Amino acid sequence: MAARVPTLNQKSLYDTTPLPESIPKVKELGTSSAPLLSASFFIGARCKDYNDDYMQCKNENPGRGEFECLKEGRRVTRCARSVIDDINKSCLDQFRAHWQCLDNNNHQLWQCRPAEWKLNKCVFENLGLEKVVPDQPKNSTPVHLRKTQIYAHNPILRGEPFIPEKTQSQ
Amino acid sequence: MPQDMPPVGGYDAVQYKRNLPARGFRPAAILAGCGVFMIYGWYKLTKGIREQNEYAREKMWSRIHLIPALQAEEDRDQVRRYLADQAREKELLGENLKVYHTDRFVRPTYAATPENVTK
Repeated sequence: MAARVPTLNQKSLYDTTPLPESIPKVKELGTSSAPLLSASFFIGARCKDYNDDYMQCKNENPGRGEFECLKEGRRVTRCARSVIDDINKSCLDQFRAHWQCLDNNNHQLWQCRPAEWKLNKCVFENLGLEKVVPDQPKNSTPVHLRKTQIYAHNPILRGEPFIPEKTQSQ
Repeated sequence: MPQDMPPVGGYDAVQYKRNLPARGFRPAAILAGCGVFMIYGWYKLTKGIREQNEYAREKMWSRIHLIPALQAEEDRDQVRRYLADQAREKELLGENLKVYHTDRFVRPTYAATPENVTK
């Protein structure tokens, strides 16, 4: 098996032709999955309108969204990139600690709560973005603010959950 | 010869019952204990399931926030490849053939391998 030369490999399928000049350029995110997961709720907090615009455009152009929604797509990418850039500028250490923890723990958010709290605190203080999981039942603590995570390797966590003061954000 | 009669006061009772000591707790206590143990188990299970639901919702929303960015990047890439393909076709054949009887974007299921690897 291994001696057979692969006849259809991806190497010769590269197509590096750039987009035509008529379509504006945008810098891609260039981020791997763990940093994206770590920053996802901040991206959602800042870019919700752009994201909704884009998804609406895709919805209204079934089958043609790839061409019709390029403009909205560029906005989405620019916004998400701005969030990543801002976090990199002001909270690089906490960000790095959190996404490396995620990378080491199979992308399980509940294994990395202490790092996440530090990141949330820094991001809220510097960028004003807050992590909110929607549809939280009224009588329960949001899961990312609980001090015990049943399924974590160390269920009882050290450190304090970061809860932003409501008076500031409203 | 006098007839053989039972002794005065009758025979002793024949012991046919087994005389084993009753060991362990009373059945009611065992039943109650099992009940308590099981209720504890259900309590822990419910807590665990609810926590897992929370994790799932958190993960789902993180994905929902990311999907537009990921999809936008993918779409741009598909459009880039499509336009490049159309341009190549135009150059080689002189006209663009319509392969599918629809205006929808169809992800290509084939790839034309260039003779030389493009840089």
